[in-house]
Amino acid sequence: MHMLANRRTAVLLVLPGVAVITFAIVAPIILSVSYSLTQWSGFGDRTFIGLQNYRRVIFDDPTFWRALFNALLLLLVTVFIQNPIAFFVAGVLIELREKTSRVLRTIYFVPSILTVVVAVKLWTNVLNPHYGLFNKLLEAIGLARLADISWLSDPAIALGAVIFITAWHGFGWALLFYYSGLTTVPNELREAAQIDGANRFQIVTRIVVPYILPVIQAVIIIDITASLKQMEVVFLSTAGGPGDRTEFIAHYLYREAFVASRFGYGNAISILFVAIAITLTVLAQRYLSSVRETR
Amino acid sequence: MGGIALRQTGRTAVRVVTMVFLLGFAVAQLFPLLWLAIYSLQRSSDLFGPELLRWPSDPQWGNYVRAWVDGRIVRYFFNSLIVVGVAVVAVTVCAFLLSYSVARMRWRGRRLVYGFVMLGMVIPIHTTLLPNFLWFNRFGLIDTYAGLIIPYVAFNLSFSVLMFAGLLSSIPYSMEDSAFMDGARMTTTLTRIIAPMVRTGFVTVGVMAFLSGWNEFIMANTFLASESKRTLPFSIIRFEGQYSSDYAVQFAVMVIVALIPILLYFLFSRWVVAGVTAGAVKE
Repeated sequence: MHMLANRRTAVLLVLPGVAVITFAIVAPIILSVSYSLTQWSGFGDRTFIGLQNYRRVIFDDPTFWRALFNALLLLLVTVFIQNPIAFFVAGVLIELREKTSRVLRTIYFVPSILTVVVAVKLWTNVLNPHYGLFNKLLEAIGLARLADISWLSDPAIALGAVIFITAWHGFGWALLFYYSGLTTVPNELREAAQIDGANRFQIVTRIVVPYILPVIQAVIIIDITASLKQMEVVFLSTAGGPGDRTEFIAHYLYREAFVASRFGYGNAISILFVAIAITLTVLAQRYLSSVRETR
Repeated sequence: MGGIALRQTGRTAVRVVTMVFLLGFAVAQLFPLLWLAIYSLQRSSDLFGPELLRWPSDPQWGNYVRAWVDGRIVRYFFNSLIVVGVAVVAVTVCAFLLSYSVARMRWRGRRLVYGFVMLGMVIPIHTTLLPNFLWFNRFGLIDTYAGLIIPYVAFNLSFSVLMFAGLLSSIPYSMEDSAFMDGARMTTTLTRIIAPMVRTGFVTVGVMAFLSGWNEFIMANTFLASESKRTLPFSIIRFEGQYSSDYAVQFAVMVIVALIPILLYFLFSRWVVAGVTAGAVKE
């Protein structure tokens, strides 16, 4: 038992991991706080301006609020549209023969395995107004009226298109999570409910959902971080445009810092972003845990 | 009698509707990819034809040759392989050692360390992009493989530790006790006895870290500057600029880049599922 008390060894073992996290996550965030208090382009002179950047972000920057709103909208679509579909599909798959189910699962997961660059560029091509598959499809089913919309640059539609691409790309993971959650529900539970005369709907809402609540919780927590940090899809498709219609918070801070050369300002957005991400995660975690306990 | 027959036709109907739905969904998922693959074998001008799909009766394999050569696929592939390969090895080793210490050794501060590592789950990568650009620059890490490897390791540690800690805490303590009775050293115990017992963890953590690194784009875009060091997704970006109207070749590049993780998934899907299960169930 001597090794269990050997603190030096214990510390030695955690050291590499802790060092990497400190170096690549903690140190930069501390630096980011200090940058956020300055007016600075990233090069040359740096002027300390206190909390002015924060004041401007919060009170005087409609784009920030739009970007935050868009990220929250993405989160809502993910949680209330994509997740239920994934849950439903998982529920259907689990009742099929294993062979059929496995083939379908693999097919449904293929989009999620694509590199984000491929996924997004695939859709920018599919949605292209001149040669894209989507508009041809609309023409083929008699919706020629809609067939010359440029989905990714129309101010009213672009946000919807971006959210769709994101949800499409993430669907496979959600499905996989729910599917593997459903495999843990013991058959005896369903059977017992069936004997008691419960119908399908009751079995799902009263037995299955409460049983896999921890899985649902895990998926929602992942969704929160994933939606808030969404930037690749926007970066590769609309760059936040037209105007700032499809701006997302993670993309906005990047654009401010590297494109608009407002490095200090970008860092202020970044710090607010960490704060929002942590707050939302903690709140959701608490809320979902309390739901679990009252069950 | 009639009731049973009715119920049975009802069931068959439900089954048929379900299968139609599932197949329709599968087609919807794959159709855009099929379109991409088919037009990667045509001439770019064919794309502007009126038909939805058009069988490549005269396949333009030359598109793939150009994609392969001008997209610098080989170069970028090896860059990706080096960066992601080293990151995967480093993250599995670091996570294993860390989890062992935190999950199986009793010492003050282990809870603190565990909480610290789990912080990585909530912090979005993107908030480190700006400061790391300057911070890494101080150490000469910008535009180097190491400048990507280090953050890839850092951001994959939390999940990996979660995974390993779960597996490690289910092993009986008698394993180490008997090893130490025999006078085995710590390193021997870890490598010969404990590590083989959690080998599924190594594969799962490795596969998940591989996928996340292989698909990562924004850090690679920010921290790498020279053409010769870029990772595989950049062959697509590169083509967009160079051959902006040569859609067929762009499609060919996308197909090549897409195929690698798809093939890997077919080989390792079991481990991806294991990773997801660990993430979902061991909350």
